Amino acid sequence: MSFLSGLFGGSSSSSKPVESEFESEKSASAELFNSTTFRSNASPSSSSSSSSSASSSSLPQPPSASAPLPAQAAPTALDAFGGGAFDPSRLHPLAGLTSGDLDLLELDEDKLNSIEGSASVLPSRGWTDDLCVGTGTTYLSGLVIGGMWGAKEGLSRPLGNNPSMKLRINSILNGCTRRGSFTGNSLGVLAIFYNLANSSLDSIRGRHDTYNVLGAAALSGAIFKSTAGVRPALVGASIMTAAAGAWSAFKNTV
Amino acid sequence: MSHGDHSRDPCPYVILNDFGGAFSMGAIGGGIWHGIKGARNSPRGERFVGSMSAIKARAPVLGGNFGVWGGLFSTFDCAVKGYRQKEDPWNAMIAGFLTGGSLALRAGPRSAFGSAVGCGILLGVFEGVGVLMNRMFAQPIPQMQLPEQAPATPAVA
Repeated sequence: MSFLSGLFGGSSSSSKPVESEFESEKSASAELFNSTTFRSNASPSSSSSSSSSASSSSLPQPPSASAPLPAQAAPTALDAFGGGAFDPSRLHPLAGLTSGDLDLLELDEDKLNSIEGSASVLPSRGWTDDLCVGTGTTYLSGLVIGGMWGAKEGLSRPLGNNPSMKLRINSILNGCTRRGSFTGNSLGVLAIFYNLANSSLDSIRGRHDTYNVLGAAALSGAIFKSTAGVRPALVGASIMTAAAGAWSAFKNTV
Repeated sequence: MSHGDHSRDPCPYVILNDFGGAFSMGAIGGGIWHGIKGARNSPRGERFVGSMSAIKARAPVLGGNFGVWGGLFSTFDCAVKGYRQKEDPWNAMIAGFLTGGSLALRAGPRSAFGSAVGCGILLGVFEGVGVLMNRMFAQPIPQMQLPEQAPATPAVA
């Protein structure tokens, strides 16, 4: 709808933005088409200019014997455009372009996640989307944090007396790649466990709330530390639960 | 990969999605792969322990390799899209070239260039196969049926 009305320079009040990408195009083309007036040598016929009521069609009436038209005023398609900007409301009502529900131009988006209370910053299209975005965010932040840790380690590592610049840079890069990948990988795996558990709990319970977050955090912490024994698993679960609780509290207050 | 499908997030956010998707793919696939491999390489009776330790040691690393590759590729893809203001197979090839180059940067410029060219060619093959598949599976335009046709002649055996 917005694309069509933008193309013909229609009024922007009836247009509904379908996608934000089209907005810039719309303004540019609307400007273009508003600045251009459609001219023809033939003057507009009187019958088409007078019939501006919305219910009747604005198509030019066929010349009849009762209302003889001047010879030079042949009805053309340009008469419907009125010489100025195109007005969608003057179209034939059957065209239905003004009602705003032109299904052809509605983009068929994927169904968004419909579980109650699961709205977040980015719209989600289901558990795979949650998994990807959550894991990606955590992994990337792990990489950054680990990279800074490694950079600090590489900067402060003793390299003998009078180390060259090349040696120092190599040391920093080594630290970054070692610590960064370690932190990123660990946090990423943790995030995979967490997101899988969270989505499973969401679909089992049918809703998304703080209990799910806490349960998923405990589960993921326990799985992550499960190979080290029962006691470390419990410690990991409690640490993750505390972190998730703090994050939930922070999110609720903000 | 980049034909303007609207089932994906807009560009800066899709990087996170790709990072996570590639990491998850690598980590989960690596878990399965190294689980089987670790079990096969362990003596009988130690199979489960061997499998577990192999998964713990190698699956996150594989996930990390996948994730860095995918995330870097997505970042370069978005950057190239933003620079060229176009969506075509060249985006993926340029992004693959840059990804391969920057991942091999520490091995020296010569090796980086070789890796970049290899990656670009690989992505070019992917995109070419995609274009070919698109052409092959595109619906042919149906022939318009004429309203007044002679009745179909029976098939001659």
